[in-house]
Amino acid sequence: MTLTLSLSLRRKPSVIPGFGLTLGCTVLYLSLVVLIPLTGLLLRPVELGWHGFWRVVLDGRVLAALSLSFGGSLLAAAINAVLGGIVAWVLVRYDFPGRRLVDALVDLPFALPTAVAGIALAAVYAPNGWIGALLLPLGIKVAFTRLGVLVALTFIGLPFVVRTLEPVLQDLDAEYEEAAATLGASRWQSFIRVVLPEILPALLTGTALAFARAVGEYGSAIFIAGNMPMSSEIAPLLIVIKLEEFDYAGASAIGVAMLGASFLLLLAINLLQRWQVARSEG
Amino acid sequence: MSVTLTGIVKRFGNFTAVDGVDLAIGNGEFAALLGPSGSGKTTLLRIIAGLEFPEAGKVTIAGADADSQKAGERRIGLVFQHYALFRHMSVFENVAFGLRVKARSVRPNGREIAERVDRLLRLVQLEHLAKRYPSQLSGGQRQRVALARALAIEPSLLLLDEPFGALDAKVRKELRRWLRRLHDEMGLTSLFVTHDQEEALELADRVVVMNKGRIEQVGSPEEIYNRPATAFVFDFIGNANRFEGQIAGGRLILAGQPVDACIQGRGDGPVQVFVRPHHVALVAAGTAGSLPGRVLHRLPSGSVHRLEIEAQGLVEPVAVEIPASRALPEGFAPGAAVGLTLTEVTVFPVAKPSI
Amino acid sequence: MKGSMSDRRAVGEQAWVRRLLVSLALGYLGLFLVLPLASVYVEALAKGIAPFLAAIVDPDALAAIRLTLLVAAIAVPCNAVFGLCASWAVAKFDFPGKSLLVTLIDLPFSVSPVVSGLVYVLLFGAHGWFGPWLQAHHIKIIFGIAGIVLATIFVTFPFVARELIPLMQQQGREEEEAAILLGASGRQTFWRVTLPNAKWGLLYGVLLCNARAMGEFGAVSVVSGHIRGLTLTMPLHVELLYNEYDFVGAFSVASLLSLLALVTLTLKSLLEWRFRSDEQAGAA
Repeated sequence: MTLTLSLSLRRKPSVIPGFGLTLGCTVLYLSLVVLIPLTGLLLRPVELGWHGFWRVVLDGRVLAALSLSFGGSLLAAAINAVLGGIVAWVLVRYDFPGRRLVDALVDLPFALPTAVAGIALAAVYAPNGWIGALLLPLGIKVAFTRLGVLVALTFIGLPFVVRTLEPVLQDLDAEYEEAAATLGASRWQSFIRVVLPEILPALLTGTALAFARAVGEYGSAIFIAGNMPMSSEIAPLLIVIKLEEFDYAGASAIGVAMLGASFLLLLAINLLQRWQVARSEG
Repeated sequence: MSVTLTGIVKRFGNFTAVDGVDLAIGNGEFAALLGPSGSGKTTLLRIIAGLEFPEAGKVTIAGADADSQKAGERRIGLVFQHYALFRHMSVFENVAFGLRVKARSVRPNGREIAERVDRLLRLVQLEHLAKRYPSQLSGGQRQRVALARALAIEPSLLLLDEPFGALDAKVRKELRRWLRRLHDEMGLTSLFVTHDQEEALELADRVVVMNKGRIEQVGSPEEIYNRPATAFVFDFIGNANRFEGQIAGGRLILAGQPVDACIQGRGDGPVQVFVRPHHVALVAAGTAGSLPGRVLHRLPSGSVHRLEIEAQGLVEPVAVEIPASRALPEGFAPGAAVGLTLTEVTVFPVAKPSI
Repeated sequence: MKGSMSDRRAVGEQAWVRRLLVSLALGYLGLFLVLPLASVYVEALAKGIAPFLAAIVDPDALAAIRLTLLVAAIAVPCNAVFGLCASWAVAKFDFPGKSLLVTLIDLPFSVSPVVSGLVYVLLFGAHGWFGPWLQAHHIKIIFGIAGIVLATIFVTFPFVARELIPLMQQQGREEEEAAILLGASGRQTFWRVTLPNAKWGLLYGVLLCNARAMGEFGAVSVVSGHIRGLTLTMPLHVELLYNEYDFVGAFSVASLLSLLALVTLTLKSLLEWRFRSDEQAGAA
């Protein structure tokens, strides 16, 4: 059942059949589902022209939404870097009752539908919610503010740092820390000078992944956000609003801006991952 | 700095790695822990370094109980088997590490650190590689960096875990002689772990032979080789022929024949008989008092002739070594009949079967 | 000795540091994971079992459940077959542009869910490229079920392929080559040799794909007409109820979805454990 395409002429013949068929189907499906629609998105803002595009993107409300989505995601990713790093350390290095359960639970943000996460976070951090009520006397309002957005974005990025760090910590040879100890380093010195540089690429990769995920997040954020224009409105929501107003061009302009940023991030993540692999083989 | 171990026992789960070890290393000694893998020698080293804590027993370093001291406080330099160089630091920074992490009150300033590191790098002949990274170095160079790093903290005791294991033969030989010279010049006390007997016998002042977590024998290389105290030591050190024999009526019976041997006042019963290959002499077949045999193989091997003789009544072929300076008579070609006489025989009682 | 310290007292952190780190870790996870998860069930049952059950068997809720299952039943197999195709092409052959292909397959992962829906609106919406043509032929994609299916397929596109490609690359081609040389056809080789080897990766990918397909919100929200009882999946139905202040209703339906999540996590752990023990048995 071999279909010979012209491609196969450039490749040495293989014993295994099915190249033409599988590659053809793959490329076809990929084009129909992903590439053509994405091209459509990229082409849409063209009708605005270069200036029109920037006018949309730099509009006050849009800028506020973009800065909330990106700024909040960056902060959330930083929080995840520190606390997620601690979680990874604790899961790999220590043993305590329920460790396996905790390990499985870390993946919850992957598995839980974002709408469910959204209403649950809103419930917990609302002024009458379990945590919200505790914070109210302190004057801290979480739900329906930018802080709420931060909470949601932290939730969604939580597993990335943990899962990226775990295998690296697992494979870290005990000898380095032992050598540092015999040379007189304190535990803290050993961590900062020896362990941290070793796990840095993985830590940065995980943080970048968490960032990328949080930037486009919608479902878990819109329930707990105030969705007030110019203050607690996230960029994806703005896209939805513009679509409802049938401002396709405007919506796609914002979409392209977000896509562009995501691709840059993807590039950075790719480079980081390659740095990580190169380091581990050094 | 002297180290004394008394009654050390270390277990990992159900496995007993060190089973009651007493040992004393004197100031300035260069000692070797020699044994097969699993004999407990690396574990013992790590206990001295403070990386493991024994279930029982005491470690005394320079007269003081080391129990309260953690790894970094014992001023012991440890060279790991795979060097454990910090990959993200240059050679200079690796060596400087022990100085940089000292408490502020005793830490030397930047210039002093640079001076000391340079001096050490010159000592190990790597001053031209100070800015390189471990991944850019050869195995021998990494080894020397690891050594310089351990010496930077001016240890009173230097521990080396199979320091030459990962290097090829020629580099190994050069480095070990160089290490011994360094030890002598700097007046260190050194203890190294190895499974290579040639290395241990060549370098060490004293050799500690270990097996299954216990010490079999401690002594100078000459003692270990010529006067092995147990069957294990005889078998492990140098080449050995091992046979089953009997002592009956005060005489050693081997392959059904009485053999002249010093049996050291051992009683009647089954014994293990050890003979070094160069203590077997070949004579014409049928000579009185010799064991009849037949030549199986003959290998010219550098400085000795090696022959394998199938001897009547002995299960294993007998390995024989004759110096190459002595020409072999024609009659010792493969297939020829010969006679074997044993010029020196050591006898040990058969080890009781363990239940 | 990798990972764990040989003797903690010798080289590890002091006990108080360890306790602090564990507390921080558990506190962080509790605050962000456990509390929200628990609140779903607490809120769902806030007024007792009866309203909870009523919310679930409500006809609109049942319609939403049916739609969710339908969408998953279409999207997951499509992407699973695609995943098998793509991993076969990538793992068993060498060709120029392979890494570009793999990167392109990963694209939907880095696209915001809302943008994922947006691209289909731009194609098939009223003012989309094909909008007028579709309207003329009375075909409804956007605001119809087809749109929801398409958006879900886009969002869950890479899941199975991402699991299978590295797995099959690691497993190599030798077994397939051996089978072919022994006279098996391509199809036989696939069913008898490749598929059994890849089964854990496939199951794992399908599991994750399904979880995402059933739970997708942003993309589906954009393309759906939000017509109660018709074009609402379960996550959208949850949003509808929540916006109507029917909190018990919203959390009741949400509790079904979180049950799905917990089952997914459990199966995930099980599959990981089975895969690892299979690997070890094979290596032994």
